[in-house]
Amino acid sequence: MSKAKISRRGLLGAAGAASAVSLFAGPWQHNRVWAQGAAKPLRIGITADASGMYANSGASDKRGMMMAIAEANERGGVLGRKVEFVHIDTETTAATGSRVAERMISREQCGFLVGAVHSGVANAISQVAQKYGVIYINTNSSSPTEAGQNCHRVKFVFDGNGTNFAKAAVKSAIERFGPDWMLLTNDYVWGHDTAAATKTLLKDYGGKVMEEVLIPQGTRDFTSALLKVQQRKPGVVSAAIGGDDQKAMRQQVVQLKMGDKPAWINSQQDWDDVYGLPIETLFGVFGTTWYYRLDLPGVADFVKRYQAMYPETAMRSPGNVFYNGYMAIRELLGAIERAGTTNNIAVIKALEGHKISARDRMQHFDATIDAQTHQVQQTIYLATANKAPKEKDDIFEVLSQAKAEDVRDTDSAKLCKLEPYEQTPTFDA
Amino acid sequence: MISLSDIPARPSAWITPPMIALALLLLAAPDLLPAIGLYQYLGIEIAIWIGFALGFNLLFGYTGLHSFGHGAYLGIGAYAFGLFQHHVAVSLWGGLLAAVLAAGIAGALVGAFLSHRRGIYYALLTIGFGQIFWFLAMKLHRVTGGEDGLLGIPRPPLTLGPWQVSLTDNRALFYFAAALLMIVVVLCWRLANSPFGRVLQAIRQNETRARFVGYEVWRFKWAVFTLSTMIAGLAGSLLAMAQQSAYPDVMSLHQSGLIVMMVLVGGGLVSFWGPVLGVVFYFVARDVLGGLTETWLLWYGLIFMAMVMLRPEGLAGMLHDLLRRSRPRQPSAAPAPATEAV
Amino acid sequence: MAPLNPDGPRMIDLLPHIINGLTLGLLFALIALGFTLIVGVMEVINLAHGSLFAIGAYFALTVIAGSWFAGTPFGAWWLSLPLGLRYVLALAIGPALAGLAGMLLELCLRPTYGKPPLYGLLLTFGAALVIEELIRLVWGTGEQNLALPQAINGAFLLNGMIFSTYRFFAAGFSIAAIIAVWLFLERTSAGAVIKAGAHDSEMVRALGYDLARLRLVVFGFGAALAGLAGVVMVPIWGLRPHVGVDIVIPAFLIIVVGGVGSFWGAVIAALLVGLAIGITGAYAAAWSTMSMYLLLIAILGFRSRGLLGRKSALEH
Repeated sequence: MSKAKISRRGLLGAAGAASAVSLFAGPWQHNRVWAQGAAKPLRIGITADASGMYANSGASDKRGMMMAIAEANERGGVLGRKVEFVHIDTETTAATGSRVAERMISREQCGFLVGAVHSGVANAISQVAQKYGVIYINTNSSSPTEAGQNCHRVKFVFDGNGTNFAKAAVKSAIERFGPDWMLLTNDYVWGHDTAAATKTLLKDYGGKVMEEVLIPQGTRDFTSALLKVQQRKPGVVSAAIGGDDQKAMRQQVVQLKMGDKPAWINSQQDWDDVYGLPIETLFGVFGTTWYYRLDLPGVADFVKRYQAMYPETAMRSPGNVFYNGYMAIRELLGAIERAGTTNNIAVIKALEGHKISARDRMQHFDATIDAQTHQVQQTIYLATANKAPKEKDDIFEVLSQAKAEDVRDTDSAKLCKLEPYEQTPTFDA
Repeated sequence: MISLSDIPARPSAWITPPMIALALLLLAAPDLLPAIGLYQYLGIEIAIWIGFALGFNLLFGYTGLHSFGHGAYLGIGAYAFGLFQHHVAVSLWGGLLAAVLAAGIAGALVGAFLSHRRGIYYALLTIGFGQIFWFLAMKLHRVTGGEDGLLGIPRPPLTLGPWQVSLTDNRALFYFAAALLMIVVVLCWRLANSPFGRVLQAIRQNETRARFVGYEVWRFKWAVFTLSTMIAGLAGSLLAMAQQSAYPDVMSLHQSGLIVMMVLVGGGLVSFWGPVLGVVFYFVARDVLGGLTETWLLWYGLIFMAMVMLRPEGLAGMLHDLLRRSRPRQPSAAPAPATEAV
Repeated sequence: MAPLNPDGPRMIDLLPHIINGLTLGLLFALIALGFTLIVGVMEVINLAHGSLFAIGAYFALTVIAGSWFAGTPFGAWWLSLPLGLRYVLALAIGPALAGLAGMLLELCLRPTYGKPPLYGLLLTFGAALVIEELIRLVWGTGEQNLALPQAINGAFLLNGMIFSTYRFFAAGFSIAAIIAVWLFLERTSAGAVIKAGAHDSEMVRALGYDLARLRLVVFGFGAALAGLAGVVMVPIWGLRPHVGVDIVIPAFLIIVVGGVGSFWGAVIAALLVGLAIGITGAYAAAWSTMSMYLLLIAILGFRSRGLLGRKSALEH
């Protein structure tokens, strides 16, 4: 790379120029010869949802990424280059995801794409990214298919998935609450995959499924399902219900005073979906990958940095969605530093198999970016409502933490076939 | 107010000057788009939606049948194309045929149910059927991939005898979509100006009278509905290639409503070329405004409301007035000239 | 997914699900009434009806949570009022403001009178889009919920099953509202004019009534009913910017099944749709949203104008 050439495009003032879309960027050649120049800023496309079902989580996701980018720029950028970002709303809609990815790559000249909550959107983006060889990080979609049959060479998955959470929860729940389970499953891919993982584990550990009730996506009235739960009288209800659907379900369960009996197991509880809700709606046991009051080095400082950077945000404490967005960018930039180049294949290789220490992750155990599936194998926590909160936001009580190797999703690994390096287009971002 | 019936009768013309202009514009588009700050993929989407909108307007503008569930057939085409590639053979022509047939069969069945209905009941039933197809696409996730969509749809190469072109590049796919679009344009134009097209317009103006004159009105309504769903299926197959996947989103009521809005804003009620203007306006506005503000749909909605209240003739009607007032001046902003049709 | 215990679901008692379906149906009836009134008098299919429902509910949210005055002395005083009182005020203010919004929409609709009904449909479709985006701007994009007074927010045990108190409160409220609307239409002179307007608006004009004002009032009244339905139903259906579109589809389907413009047709159809959702919820929950569309097609297959419909200008 030649050195110290001035960027062809004017630098954007600050990294915080959200949606800084320059409309007349001039002709852009498709053959991957980005303008050479060491000082050219590194452009990251943030593909977080700003509207639709996951608008809330998408906003947290984006805040996490922006904080990591701001911190990188304070340290002087990456490989001497400033980090810029462009954000375009993916509307929690797959087709929009395709278009946004095309635009980010071919017009906004983004060398990397980061962000997703919904698996449909993540898939749409990753297909386009793979076509161009652009590295894409799925920050927050926890569908097992993401690191299974829909895995890609350019895609990395930073969240724990449904199987990880089921593995952490099922065995001990059978022991405590008995073998009779009822499943409430959101009738879409994430729900089915998560329920399938639970069913396999139930079979392995001697539990049985009394009935599975499929809940159409977008359901707000859970009365039918809750009547059925009462009629069947299971020991455990395992719910794979996502986003706002889950919020509604929680409120209705509380209204009917069904939160304590039967026992409720929730695959994963995104912080954004329960933040600000009354504590009694947090019944049952649920999974998460991070909590802002984990008693680990670095956590308190991380929370302080969040509060300093987002003084206006209603959410006063960061959650798992923010954390994943932050970690994704930090690891991506770290990999670029290690590779010493922005060549996509070199960066992919720097990410694959990379070990992240527990301290860096602010989790209890070390994590690895799985070379085979590209999923981050990490600590999985089980939590419940905190009956003795130390402060207003202290609503989780962490019950246990499982090591990554104990909850590894081996089924997805069998289904994942990454494209060979030579079939992935190569370029320098 | 001018109307579609004011179209000058040129039944013998297969190719008209606006068509040539559109063809030239499409030919230049891959070089034009980046120069004005847009990108190739957007061009593909616009070409696809123009085809869809022209087919839709045969039903909406010409026959006055208001389908609010037309996105369903676009989606069926996309799924049929993808399923054909996955389960039958990787073949461009096979996939296109499968898409047109699948959407056409669905349309023919629904059309048989709809064609005895009139007015608002017709519109209501199209919503009902549209929702059913949308729901099925989500529900039959083993076939369609559900919410996640049907992924990994290849772009098969274009084969004509010994000649083979890869369509994996967006530019190549654009030209292919543009070529198909031109066929759809000529087809729709011929149809609209044929005796068949005259009957359709008679139905719009007064269905009862058309029946008394001796036409079996429901057959015409059925035929035009089926035809427009087939064109939607063709557009859907191209969409599947562009996105390399098929998603249920395009089948939702929201998206089906958008095509109605695009056609009306463009002036589909008064001009053959209205849908073209409407689609271009919508996509360019979405891309430019959507990058600047997250509330751009608010502005689009307000424009739409204002047009329904004040200028239901849409962009094409405004352009027509403009041209009539200052004949010699050629408007520079128009993406496609609409002078001939109005 | 095949049921793992194939004879399991059949063993359950259907009665709770029927009750559940009927209570839902009564709520649907409340929103369908305003809809059918507007269609009857105006011959406009108001696709923004669900948006008026949303407006009523969002204003109720503001009244109950006092969020616009948070931090001011007035806000503090407001929140010190008992929740029950704020709820009752919300039940009045929400629908009133929805009614005003409806009147505004009626003014926008005026240029479309005398044109095919499509124009009214299109205009209100655009309005629905605009209102949804405005809600995003004013109240934010996330899911919110309406706080309920303790008295109606619990659960009770009936025949060994727990039911939500609020659901029965809402259903009872709907019955009262339906009867009140019916009495208004049947027993008051204003109601008689509206009914006459629905039957033959030209005749009403010939008798010396101001048709423009009648339309404005009817639209406002229908919109207020939508707003009322919004306040009552949202604790069950959740509140998000998209709620208007989510509710307008069943509402709209109900008036078609019931017969456009028919009061009792709408009520009966609403109960049928509620029952269909409740019963499929018991046997095949995943298909419960689908059931109403199948009901629509089944009924329109036999009766092209719905259960109690009659010929109207909407068919042109």
